[in-house]
Amino acid sequence: MRYESITEAIGDTPLVRISPAVHGLRTIDLYAKLEMLNPFGSVKDRAAWQMTRAALPGAVERGDTIVELSSGNTAKALALIAGLHGLRFKSVTNRMKVPEIKELLLLLGAEIEELPGQAECLDPTDTDDPLTRMHRMLTEAGGGYLHTDQYYSTLNTEAHLTGTGPEILRDLDGRAPDHFIACVGTAGSSTGVAAALRASNPELAVLGLVAHKSDFIPGIRTIDEVHEVGLFDPATYDAIESVTADQAIDGMVTLIRRCGLLAGPTGGAAYYGAVRHLQRLEAEQADRSDGATARRQTAVFIVCDRVESYLSYIRRRRPELLGQPPRRNSIASLTPAELAAAPAIDLEAARKWIAAEHPLVIDLRGPFAYAALHIEGSINIVDELFDELLHGGLPFSSNQPVLLACPVGEKSLGYAALLTRMGHRDARSLTGGIVGWRDAGAPLVRD
Amino acid sequence: MQPPPPHRAPPGQEPLYLSPRLAPPLASALKAAELLHSLTDALGSPLNLVLPEQLAENVERFRAVYRSHHLAGEIFFAHKANRSSALARQLAALDAGMDVASVAELQHALGAGFAPQRIMATGPKTSEFLWLAARVGVTVNLDSRAELEELAALVRKHALPRVAVLLRLSGFRGPGAPVLSRPSRFGTDLAELDGLLEAVERHQDVVELTGAAYHLDTMGLPEKAIALEACVNVLDECRRRGLRPRAVDVGGGYGVNYLADQAQWDRYGTELTNAVLGRRPPLTWQGHGYGLRAEAGTLRGTLGLYPGHRPVAAAGYLEELLTLQAPSLGRPLATLLLENLYDLQIEPGRALVDQCGAVLARVVEVRHTADGVPLVRLAANAGDIGLEQHGVLVDPLLIDRQGRGWADEAGPVGVHLAGNLCLESDLITRRQVFLPRLPQPGDLLAFANTAGYCMDFTAHHAMRQPLARTVALYREDGSWRWRLDDQYWPIFGTRENS
Repeated sequence: MRYESITEAIGDTPLVRISPAVHGLRTIDLYAKLEMLNPFGSVKDRAAWQMTRAALPGAVERGDTIVELSSGNTAKALALIAGLHGLRFKSVTNRMKVPEIKELLLLLGAEIEELPGQAECLDPTDTDDPLTRMHRMLTEAGGGYLHTDQYYSTLNTEAHLTGTGPEILRDLDGRAPDHFIACVGTAGSSTGVAAALRASNPELAVLGLVAHKSDFIPGIRTIDEVHEVGLFDPATYDAIESVTADQAIDGMVTLIRRCGLLAGPTGGAAYYGAVRHLQRLEAEQADRSDGATARRQTAVFIVCDRVESYLSYIRRRRPELLGQPPRRNSIASLTPAELAAAPAIDLEAARKWIAAEHPLVIDLRGPFAYAALHIEGSINIVDELFDELLHGGLPFSSNQPVLLACPVGEKSLGYAALLTRMGHRDARSLTGGIVGWRDAGAPLVRD
Repeated sequence: MQPPPPHRAPPGQEPLYLSPRLAPPLASALKAAELLHSLTDALGSPLNLVLPEQLAENVERFRAVYRSHHLAGEIFFAHKANRSSALARQLAALDAGMDVASVAELQHALGAGFAPQRIMATGPKTSEFLWLAARVGVTVNLDSRAELEELAALVRKHALPRVAVLLRLSGFRGPGAPVLSRPSRFGTDLAELDGLLEAVERHQDVVELTGAAYHLDTMGLPEKAIALEACVNVLDECRRRGLRPRAVDVGGGYGVNYLADQAQWDRYGTELTNAVLGRRPPLTWQGHGYGLRAEAGTLRGTLGLYPGHRPVAAAGYLEELLTLQAPSLGRPLATLLLENLYDLQIEPGRALVDQCGAVLARVVEVRHTADGVPLVRLAANAGDIGLEQHGVLVDPLLIDRQGRGWADEAGPVGVHLAGNLCLESDLITRRQVFLPRLPQPGDLLAFANTAGYCMDFTAHHAMRQPLARTVALYREDGSWRWRLDDQYWPIFGTRENS
């Protein structure tokens, strides 16, 4: 495989069978279309390329900026395509809920504008929505923008009608599957693939999966949000079902741990929704067929993208999946007895102690606050770093007297207890902290 | 004679309820049917109810968030959310302050028992307002440099005491990806900060800078995090200039969760979308779409409704804000405030009077439109019950004349609620509302949880219809007692058996 450009590597993704030992279906062969193996990492590579390839020469000549409303994979693919052609890419979005993806986009050179949140007080003078405003901005600019318009562009659907769909047919030896399952985002892939497969098998059953209303699954719309998409046509789907964020993650974990597929939550949602739906069908058919063997069927679902970008999403919802062994010298491991016995010193005594014995005064606040006002002669080790240091051991001699100070004397008390447990001979916490110090009128300096 | 028009929902069209979330005191008060009927008989319809005693719990919830982060600072009630004296006096007896936005609100707060140190003057201000604020010594939340100049001139001219001031700021820009903020007509743009601070320094003999403030009309937490961090940065610049600021005022906008059931709200939104797209009969008067419209089968526009079910609201929202990381300094916002030795000031309006009131309206007439939909006319208008105006969709409770409460006995019926003004537009809500049975003249409808902006904020004297009187309900010896709003002082009540 030798290519002139990475865009030639878009498409021709593998179709991989999921083992019946994993999904438990007896009469249905289930295949995953691995769109995550596209070069930019997702099914959106196809749409991004299809929506730009014809317009690129003109855009390059004019030096246009590519613009799209996207918070994820489309933006990622478009940013890379723009970069390949020396163009700028700008994404306007209000759905950037996954921090890694935002940072990744910035790394890829995308410019991002985030739309404001909903107003708390209803303002009747605020008549149009942010998206309308963005469309107006593009029109008023009178040029300089190549707006790919993924929610309305038929090129989005076409990428799948001429690419993804026919590839599935080819890999199934020209026989269309009986079932096609896809998550609905822009509706581009589900609409395009469904049309291609239906042309070969009018009996094809299409299941569209949406996110449960109160849940957020990156890349999938909720049942209300799909109506905002120009490409969405309810007639495409024989059924629409919803998947919760938890179920999507369950499906994802199965694909990763049992099937060797590094799928993201959208692929997980597709797998979970597919198996749930097909198991129900199988049970119904078993009831009807009175023991007669049902015809073997085939089902295909799409794995949209890869898991790596969603670690914070998973950490937030299912932290146990990222379980870490407990660390040494952790403040979380202190017992109430250790905390109660932690050495502390009140403000007056602390001032005398500092004057007489010059303990190391460690201010645990952030550097910004420390720089603004601090106890003269103190040094700043922000609590997060101090915590890291202590995992490795004592960062100073156990004979060196230490006075720990934090805002109110709570965190410092914990660290005084921990230092004591670690064998330090004289580490004390400043009772009342810097706030108490300030309130008592004791001097704070700014360098 | 024609058969009576059907008033049940056609088969297959399930009623869509939006049941209000009711805390036990408000639920209990709205079950006291006999009392509520005798009150409206005596005092007329509409009638506003306020429950001052609920304020203690609401203040405490915010205080608990302060405590968990070791933060000090005042919780100012945004007075404009409700003009009730009973609520103001009860707040004066609690650990709360008052945020006033007019000279009359300032007079009211002083009369309700707030010492000037517990009052802050905000909003657009007249000279009279500035003078009285300076005269009695309340903190002035300055909107602009021009206002600072005017205040300073007043203080000098009339030899008033030095005034504590906060600087209200706007036009915040965060690091990384730009967040497009809705432009505000209030506050000083950060781009003009230098001029403002120079003026503060120049007027130091008459004003004392105590902090920075922002108030953003958004539910978006990232925008607020950017603003809060910017205020901390501004105050650091103030310290560098030798000023001694003490507080960051993060304004209001904490929100209220109006509905009891998330699933009802979700379902309503879905059905409204279907109705706008023509996939089901309309849910609203004349097919109103609340900002949504269909264009070639695609949904366009933005839903202009308050998110009726908000799992994260009020003190919970403040907690979320305070635990967010500062966008560039990288510490949780509460930690940032605490470490920099700043007090936190907040100005909740709506959230502080959550569950503190209701509006009662009497049913005057029940008839049917030409297409058979029941139309219930109330002795109140849309200005008296501001829920719809604020985009809050919530069902009223039916309190029937016989005092049988709102027991579900005759099956649900979908009705439209019309007001008492001679205007086509005077609908209490544009939504079809489902009631447990068809109401009768003389029944009451109770609109719950209206104390925040939805009670008398928009009430007016058009067509000389009566304005609602306000009654304070409180518990004493295990039963509900009442006083006219103006006759309530927080020395009654709380002699509770339970």
